[in-house]
Amino acid sequence: MTNKNHAEVAIIGGGIVGCAIAYYVSKAGIDCMLIEKGDLASGTSSRCDGNISIVDKDPGFDSLMSLASQELTAELEKDLNLPFEYRSLGSILVCDNDAEMEVAKQWVNIQNQAGLKFKLLDRTDIRQESPYFADDIPGGLECETDSLINPYLFCYSLIDKAKQYGLKLHTRAEVKLVSKKGDFLIETTKGNFTAKKIVNAAGVWSPFIGKMLDIEIPIKPRKGHIMVGGRQKPIIMRNVMEFGYLMNKFQRERIADSKTLKHGVALVLEPTESQNFLIGSSRQFVGFDARIDYDVVQTMARRALRFFPKLDDFNMIRTYTGFRPWTEDHLPIISEVEEVPGFYIAAGHEGDGISLATITGKLIEEMITEKETTISIEPLRYDRFNKNAVTM
Amino acid sequence: MDKVIICRCEEVDLEEIKETISKYQCSAREIKLRTRAGMGYCGGRTCRPALNAIVAEISGEKLRHEIPLKIQPPIRPVSLGKIGG
Repeated sequence: MTNKNHAEVAIIGGGIVGCAIAYYVSKAGIDCMLIEKGDLASGTSSRCDGNISIVDKDPGFDSLMSLASQELTAELEKDLNLPFEYRSLGSILVCDNDAEMEVAKQWVNIQNQAGLKFKLLDRTDIRQESPYFADDIPGGLECETDSLINPYLFCYSLIDKAKQYGLKLHTRAEVKLVSKKGDFLIETTKGNFTAKKIVNAAGVWSPFIGKMLDIEIPIKPRKGHIMVGGRQKPIIMRNVMEFGYLMNKFQRERIADSKTLKHGVALVLEPTESQNFLIGSSRQFVGFDARIDYDVVQTMARRALRFFPKLDDFNMIRTYTGFRPWTEDHLPIISEVEEVPGFYIAAGHEGDGISLATITGKLIEEMITEKETTISIEPLRYDRFNKNAVTM
Repeated sequence: MDKVIICRCEEVDLEEIKETISKYQCSAREIKLRTRAGMGYCGGRTCRPALNAIVAEISGEKLRHEIPLKIQPPIRPVSLGKIGG
């Protein structure tokens, strides 16, 4: 008989990353529990959009990791029982000006050389995507393999299946203290648990868990706003972002007005299966202040109207904010921590948590079972930040 | 009675809400996400008290002073053009 309060592996955090880890680890036949302070998907994973995309990734390791995740997600569509609104239609990026169009051309070449399915789109192609686009958009690009999901339904679906494999789920159990004497002791608001290994998948809150074991985790909250447009007329079939999104994300120089730059605003428009649509995005470092900032929302609306001027009479029904777990080099930490054997970190995905959750779950499972990993985990190591500090 | 519509915007009836609560033993917020009740055009401003009450009655969860289901701005739907204005 298995003990309800003990497991081989305890995952802390019931967001999309923790849920994916729970799925792969329990599927591998390992005794596993997930501890979450609120409900499943009650943090960043229900305050985001649902892109599983390569279109916004840096060519190289970043984009190949996303491709691996896309392939795994397509398998999950068949393997999981509860539907999660998977739509595999590709996605597009649109350019604001000719200068961006030039960079987009290079971008498509680099991604194609890496074996990814990218295609340059001209003015006519863009107009065929949506009748609501502005006439002066010079073009853009398409990534064929991108898809959309509903992130919180995906979490529910992963956990539903993981439970069939034996996962023990403890929600509304906030971790207060973690210590290690042989096994890990995890003290929570819902009682104490023990485990041989811990995976810290607490996303933007993972530094708090790290601190309990004297491990400093360099992740900061990067706030984002999203507006929800109500069900009206279909605008576009698939996700669209503007090229400037990449510039913001990677903190590169971009031509735009001062407020757009200040709030890190770039257009993202995602049609949802409920026939609403989401408009993003913003990027700010303001700690954990979750309040809606009207100035940011106004800037986002203006940016959306630059690309979709004919949406001016479409009604917005909600706005919300979420916190992306940001790291300095825009890659997550998926790593064992040498200082504390048996302690793993799977966090810091910034805005790529939805895209990279499945590959993250798979990698942690492979690390725990000491198998060869699907992709190299060298660039994801926890100690890379310390190394940088020494060489700087 | 079970066929009574609780969320008019998303057309969710009492039966679906009851079934979801008994299947997942979940909070009002999770009921909202699983059924879409309260996620429509009115932003839950019509059905929120009903949803909270149903969850409280079935799960025995006491209605607290803090609001289980948050209301997000804007207060009523407003056009993109006006927000950008």
